[in-house]
Amino acid sequence: MKVFSIAFNTFRENLRDKLLYNLLIFALLMIGSSLILMRLTLGEFHRLILDIGLGSINFFGVLIAIFVGIGLVSKEIEKKTIYTIMSKPVARYQFLLGKYLGLSLTLLINTAIMAVGLLVVLYFQDVPVHAVLFKALGMIVLEFMVITAVALLFSTFSSATLSAIFTLAIYVIGHLTTDLRAFGQKMEGVGRAVLEGMYYILPNLDRFNLKGNVTHQLDVPAGDLLMIAAYGMAYAAFLLMLASVIFQQRDFR
Amino acid sequence: MLGLPHLSIRIHESSKQSPCIVWSAVTLMTFGLLALIVLLQRNLDFRIDVHAAKIEDLAQLPRGEYLKPALLGYNHLGADLLWLRLLQVWGKKKNTDNEYEWMYHALEVITTLDPRYAYAYYVGGVALINYTDRPDLSNRLLEKGHRANPGEWNLPFLLGYNHYFALGNAIKGAEYIGRAARTPGAPDFLPGLATRMHAEAGNPDVALQFLEALWKENPDLVVREKLETRAKEVLIERDLRALERAISHYYNDHRAFPSSLTDLVSRKYLERVPEEPFGGTYLFDARTGRVTSSTHPARLKVFRLDLEGGV
Repeated sequence: MKVFSIAFNTFRENLRDKLLYNLLIFALLMIGSSLILMRLTLGEFHRLILDIGLGSINFFGVLIAIFVGIGLVSKEIEKKTIYTIMSKPVARYQFLLGKYLGLSLTLLINTAIMAVGLLVVLYFQDVPVHAVLFKALGMIVLEFMVITAVALLFSTFSSATLSAIFTLAIYVIGHLTTDLRAFGQKMEGVGRAVLEGMYYILPNLDRFNLKGNVTHQLDVPAGDLLMIAAYGMAYAAFLLMLASVIFQQRDFR
Repeated sequence: MLGLPHLSIRIHESSKQSPCIVWSAVTLMTFGLLALIVLLQRNLDFRIDVHAAKIEDLAQLPRGEYLKPALLGYNHLGADLLWLRLLQVWGKKKNTDNEYEWMYHALEVITTLDPRYAYAYYVGGVALINYTDRPDLSNRLLEKGHRANPGEWNLPFLLGYNHYFALGNAIKGAEYIGRAARTPGAPDFLPGLATRMHAEAGNPDVALQFLEALWKENPDLVVREKLETRAKEVLIERDLRALERAISHYYNDHRAFPSSLTDLVSRKYLERVPEEPFGGTYLFDARTGRVTSSTHPARLKVFRLDLEGGV
């Protein structure tokens, strides 16, 4: 119950953030711009709308997750508002979880708004919509949830700027872990073990990327989808656990 | 920041006297600056960009293998944007040989970013063979596409065309057409064409049927013009064969060649002397008995027996 009231409060707080609206408007403009670009291309302009639309939803969502996520805890500490919360009978992990769920809700609603924008464009251009589009959107939200957890983890022990840099770095690395593994397999001994270990510990964000499947209308089996969802949830839970442990140890001065 | 209070004081001071004048001055200055910006931008464009044709940028594209990871999962969007850029430079009436190499490079990068972009393979393959004569590049692109998209019938179909007409290898051409015909979703005429190509690849009627099929698939005017030219060349071959048949009948009967082609008509070996499709005439050498076209003295490669794979 406490968790949900913190979550709802975080959500309301997020709605007051100007950054959110800026990014949302940009994303919708990008989706709309595909209508103009479409006129320049030859052949499959459907794929241009889908690629630009899903790309914008993904990209701007990640920006929101990172730049709102890093402020979740550090802002409270900076403004000293954390003392008023901590003095109440709220466990620290409950506070973190509430914050996390609040931003996740914001991101979910954001994605829904952007998806409606995309669907409107698709409807007026007579592009057939397949079920895989919604699956891909679901996976995009899951990616946001993992990234939010990363941002939250970093913001429990470092400043907002550093957290932003770290989270961006994890986002980039998260899309390159497959290469990391490929390099590892060319090595021997310790190097190989280290890279293999890193491959398993770092988030493999490419797993959540089904944008190509939407472009080519390739369906994803339900079993695979469930596995990916379980992976995302487990990874976010792992990060939240880690964040709670660190946050529990922390002194606020 | 430093000048700002100073400026605002000034505006404030003078606004006491006549605010209207100040505002018009500010508006005028704003528009003046805007005009200056546009002017400078145009000047810079003219000075700097005049030599750098944008098509050359394609040559500097990094290889797809390196670009793909750098795009962090937005590789399909990257392929779309590169495709858009490629189309903008393709618009020229005539491109140099170098430019086709760069275009091939760009297509190679696009199809590495999105290996299932079947449309890019097909259009790229058509352009590389029809806009310029590069069957090597066209085939390399189409082979890559065919490996990544075994379900697309038009990629092996075009490969068949390249081998049959451009490389003069009828057997390999027939093999690819057969592969295209076996792909699910292939049009109904393909199996028939494939069978005929296997049985009588050197028959001009088969070639004409093939060209007609490709003509229907390509609305592009340059490509259609090219295909029409090719069809006329095949018509020449068909006419020459008919003429040769008549001449050999004549020779068998008379133990001598006719003095001219009209002899064949007057002696009922031929209904009429066919019209040369390019507007030329058919030349007849009464000593050797050979007929040639005045516009296309060399015969089509694909029908020559001396070439490897020719029928």
